[in-house]
Amino acid sequence: MSRILDIKDLSIHFLLKSGTVKAVNRLSLSLDEGETLGLVGETGAGKTTTALGIMGLVQSPPGKTLGGEILFDGRDLLKLPTREMRKIRGNDISMIFQDPMTSLNPIDTVGEQIAEVIKLHNKVSPAEAAKEAQKMLEMVGIDGSRYNDYPHQFSGGMKQRVVIAIALACHPRLLIADEPTTALDVTIQAQVLDLMRDLRDQMNTSMILITHDLGVVAEVCDKVAIMYAGEIVEYGTLRQVYKNPCHYYTKGLFASIPNMNEKVRRLTPIKGMMPDPAALPAGCKFAERCEYAGEGCGAEQELRDVGEGHLVRCFQCRKQTGVSR
Amino acid sequence: MLRYVGKRLLMMIPVLLGVSFVVFTMLYFTPGDPAVQILGDGASTEAIEALREEMGLNNPFWIRFLTYVKDLVIDHDMGISYSTNRPVLDEILSRFPTTIELAALSVLIATCIGIFCGIVASVRQYSIFDHLATVASMIGVSMPNFWQGLMMILLFSVYLGWLPASGFDRAICWIMPSLTIGTSTAASIMRMTRSSMLEVIRQDYIRTARAKGQSELVVIMHHALKNAIIPVLTTIGISFGRMLGGAVLTESIFAIPGLGSLIVNAIKARDYPVVQGGVLFIAFVFGFVNLAVDILYAYCDPRIKSQYAGGRKKKWKGGEQA
Repeated sequence: MSRILDIKDLSIHFLLKSGTVKAVNRLSLSLDEGETLGLVGETGAGKTTTALGIMGLVQSPPGKTLGGEILFDGRDLLKLPTREMRKIRGNDISMIFQDPMTSLNPIDTVGEQIAEVIKLHNKVSPAEAAKEAQKMLEMVGIDGSRYNDYPHQFSGGMKQRVVIAIALACHPRLLIADEPTTALDVTIQAQVLDLMRDLRDQMNTSMILITHDLGVVAEVCDKVAIMYAGEIVEYGTLRQVYKNPCHYYTKGLFASIPNMNEKVRRLTPIKGMMPDPAALPAGCKFAERCEYAGEGCGAEQELRDVGEGHLVRCFQCRKQTGVSR
Repeated sequence: MLRYVGKRLLMMIPVLLGVSFVVFTMLYFTPGDPAVQILGDGASTEAIEALREEMGLNNPFWIRFLTYVKDLVIDHDMGISYSTNRPVLDEILSRFPTTIELAALSVLIATCIGIFCGIVASVRQYSIFDHLATVASMIGVSMPNFWQGLMMILLFSVYLGWLPASGFDRAICWIMPSLTIGTSTAASIMRMTRSSMLEVIRQDYIRTARAKGQSELVVIMHHALKNAIIPVLTTIGISFGRMLGGAVLTESIFAIPGLGSLIVNAIKARDYPVVQGGVLFIAFVFGFVNLAVDILYAYCDPRIKSQYAGGRKKKWKGGEQA
C-alpha cells in the first residue's frame, strides 16, 4: 500500500483582532491508499479546520496556514498554484460537509450540482455529464428521475446522499467526510454509513472520517487519530487505540460512553472545558483537566511511539510504559 | 404561475380604487377653484358659477366621485384636461415614453454600476475599494437630486461646455439627467448587493462549490450572485417604479417634458382630471413593476416558484438535460 497523504507539522491559525486563535497546531498525519482514518475530537478541537486545510479552503483572512506540509501523492498542496489546486479539489480530493441542509445551492437542481463537478474535471459533453450525474444519484439510492428536483424538495437524509454523490462523482482518491452523519437521525445515519463504506470498497478510496462518535469510528475506520485543542494526542490502529487507550483524554472519552450492561445512575464525563484556542496553555493542553497530571506535564509534549506505531502525546503515559527519552 | 399573475392583476383593482379615492378626496379638500383658474381672476361671479355647474363641481362629494369611477370603469375615460381640453389619457401617454426612457436608462446605469461595485466590495471586504465604495455610496445616497443636477449643469454645461443643459431629443442630452437620477439608485443598489452578497458568501453551499474545484468567478457570479440577487431586485424594482412616477425635480431642472412635470403643472393649475389620472396611472405602473419583480423572483429562486404554483406538489420534468 502506498502513502497517499502525508501531513507534517501543519499549523492553521486565525488571526483576529481580539487575538490569534490557534486552531491546528503542528499536526502530523499520514494515510495509505484504501485506508480509512477516523479523526475524533470534541467540538472546537480543530477537526474541520484540518480538513479545510487539506482542501485549501480555510477562509482567508482571517485563517492562515502557517507552514508545514501537506503531501498528496508526494506533491505539497500548500505550494501548489491556485489553478493546480482547483484541479485536485473535487477531483482527487473531495469533501462531504457537515450540514446537508445548507451544503447544497438552493437555486440549482441537484442533478446540475452533481453534473457541475463532473463537467469541471472531465472532458464530457453536458449530456454525458447529466447522464453520469443521474448514475451517481442512483448509486446513492435516489431515483434518477429526480435529477431536475431542487434541494428544497428533498429530506435531510436525501440531501446528504446528494452531497455524497457530488463528493464521489469524480471518483476521488481521498474522501474527507466531515461529520457526515451528525445532522441525521439514527436510522438514516446507519444507511449513510453503509453507503459510504460500500462506495469506499467499490472505488478503493482513502477516507478521513471526522466525527465525535466513537461508535461510528469503530464501525468504519482502520486507524484513529484523537484530536484535542488542535493537536493529535493519540494515534494508532483501531485495535491499538480501542484496546489500549493511553492518553488520559482518550481514556476519558471511552469512560464517558454509557455502558448498556451496567446500571449506572450518573455518566462519567471529562470534567472541565477544552482550553480557549486563543489562549492555549504551555505544555500538555489537557493537563488542567487531567487527574493524573503532575510534574513534567508542564513541558511541551511530543508524540511518542509506545509500540508498533501507536503514538501518544502524554508524559504520564510514557512514564508508565517505560518509553522515555 | 399564470393563475398567480391573474390573481395579482385582480388584486390591483381594489388598490387602484383606493388610490383614486384618496387622491380624489385630497383634491376635494384642496383650496383653489378650477373654474377661477380657467376663466382668470377677472371673471364675473356668474360666469364662474355657470362653469362650476357645467363641470359638475357643485355636486356633492359622493356623486362626483362615483361619476368619476363610473366613467373610469365603464367608459375607460379619465376625463378631459381642464387646461388643454385634451383627453387625460392622451396627455399622459404623450409624456410617458419620455419618462420611461429616462427611467429605464437611469435604472440600467444604476444597476450596472451598483451591482458591479457591490460584488467587488463584498468579495474584497475591508479592502480599499470596499471603503471607497462605501464612502461613495454614502455620498450618492445623501446628495439631493436637484443639487447634483445643478452642479452637473454648472460643471459640464457652463464651465466645460461638454453636455447640453436641457433638451431630450438627442442621446447626448440623456447623459446628465439619467446620471442625476441614477446616482442615488446606484448607491442603494450597491449597498444592497454588498450586504446580500456578504451574507451569501459565508454560506456552506459556496464552500461546496469551491470544494468542487469551481473557479472563483463562477462561484461568485453563479453560486453567490444568483442567491444574493433577490433583495437587489426589490431595490431595483422600487427605484424603477418611483422613477416611472416621474422624477419631478430632475425633469424640471433639465426641462424634460415627463410625467412628473405634467402632474406638477396640473396641480398648480388645479387641473383635477390630469392629477387624478396621472396618480392613478403611476399607481398602476408601480403595481405592474412590482408584479414584474415578483415574477422575476420566481425565475431566480425555485423555492419561490413552487410557492407561486399554489403549494401543489409539482414535478419539474423539463427534460432537456434528463
